[in-house]
Amino acid sequence: MPHQCIECGRTFPDGSKEMLSGCPDCGGNKFQFKPSGAAESKPSAEPSAGSAPSADSEPTTETEPAPDFNSRSGSDTGAASPEPAESDDPGDPVDRRPERETGSAATDPVDGDAEHIDGEEAEDSAQASARSDVVSPDELDRAARETGSAAVDSESTEPPASQPGVDELRDELNEQFESIRIVSPGQYELNLMELYDRQEYIISLQEDGRYVIEMPDAWGVTDE
Amino acid sequence: MGLLTNLRDSISRVTDGLFAADEPKRIGIYGPPNAGKTTLANRIARDWTGDAVGPESHIPHETRRARRKENVEIERNGRKVTIDIVDTPGVTTKVDYKEFLDHDMDKEDAVRRSREATEGVAEAMHWLREDVDGVIYVLDSTTDPFTQVNTMLIGIIESQDLPALILANKTDLSGSDVQQIANAFPQHETIPLSALEGENMDEVYTKIAEYFG
Repeated sequence: MPHQCIECGRTFPDGSKEMLSGCPDCGGNKFQFKPSGAAESKPSAEPSAGSAPSADSEPTTETEPAPDFNSRSGSDTGAASPEPAESDDPGDPVDRRPERETGSAATDPVDGDAEHIDGEEAEDSAQASARSDVVSPDELDRAARETGSAAVDSESTEPPASQPGVDELRDELNEQFESIRIVSPGQYELNLMELYDRQEYIISLQEDGRYVIEMPDAWGVTDE
Repeated sequence: MGLLTNLRDSISRVTDGLFAADEPKRIGIYGPPNAGKTTLANRIARDWTGDAVGPESHIPHETRRARRKENVEIERNGRKVTIDIVDTPGVTTKVDYKEFLDHDMDKEDAVRRSREATEGVAEAMHWLREDVDGVIYVLDSTTDPFTQVNTMLIGIIESQDLPALILANKTDLSGSDVQQIANAFPQHETIPLSALEGENMDEVYTKIAEYFG
């Protein structure tokens, strides 16, 4: 019983079609995936493999643990190398953390992943695809930036990925144009070229990271 | 009609020329923190106006707002040159409050100084873009001039075709190496000086008149 409804606790065998339109008992659409159970119920998983791709059209079935699997399988399939290639936005400390984890210590996740990897071997690609549908926006952001991620993942996540992808792009663009980065209170990194190039004049930095800017050129034009 | 138009054009040309000639050139004193920019600005201002521009300090980022001293009249070889001196905050790519903690400053003051210094760099870069007609670039001749900040700023100044004078300051210190600065920026003339001791200021004023007059 690899899937369990987190609302009512009902369990479903791996690849079950019942859960694709929500839990028949309570209507819940959040399921917990239990990989250890997946290995036990391996025989039942295989026959239902053919029907699993229909999950692609059912993004409403959201199981929360799935994002973990998606990201891990993404890094297992060689996404580790494209991720550090995003060094053109080295400034986002939030983004840098996973890069360092995957880049410098590829062995770190192995311990925690051992049982998951076993579980993956036990299932077919259709099931992996079905589960890859259910990712959180955060995971979608990361997946969108992993240029080398598996084709199966990108195909299945495309429709929901479009909106977070735009946000991600906007973040990246903002970052490229950032002229003052607040590393921590009292610690700043300055992009001199950006400060020089921008027409607005930053006259004050606020504690919460906001800027006060003056746009003398714009005022001048309207005055005239 | 044609006569009137011509007359009006002539008058406006004459008045424009008058104002342009009267308007002093605005010379920005740029450089990394602790190069001696304010010491130089004060030296120039005191020598020619009797006033100072701002407080000097051995603590980096003492100058956190650009300060201007207007109408500094420098007389050289029977010729008067009037300039506005803009003493700018030291330009850097990183500001860390921890560097101020060594100077008997508590954390709150250090963090505030750090924020103000960052605003100062932004202001200095803004002035460089908008408001200066020439640059006096001050370097501490006891330190390595091959830095990202120096290269970038000199590059910006060159790209703007601004007249620039490079000063190798602190020649009174034992570790001073003027030649190193001259080697770093061979496309510019390097003038050695000690703004603190007033050494070689005559040559500095001659060059200011020559470059910015």
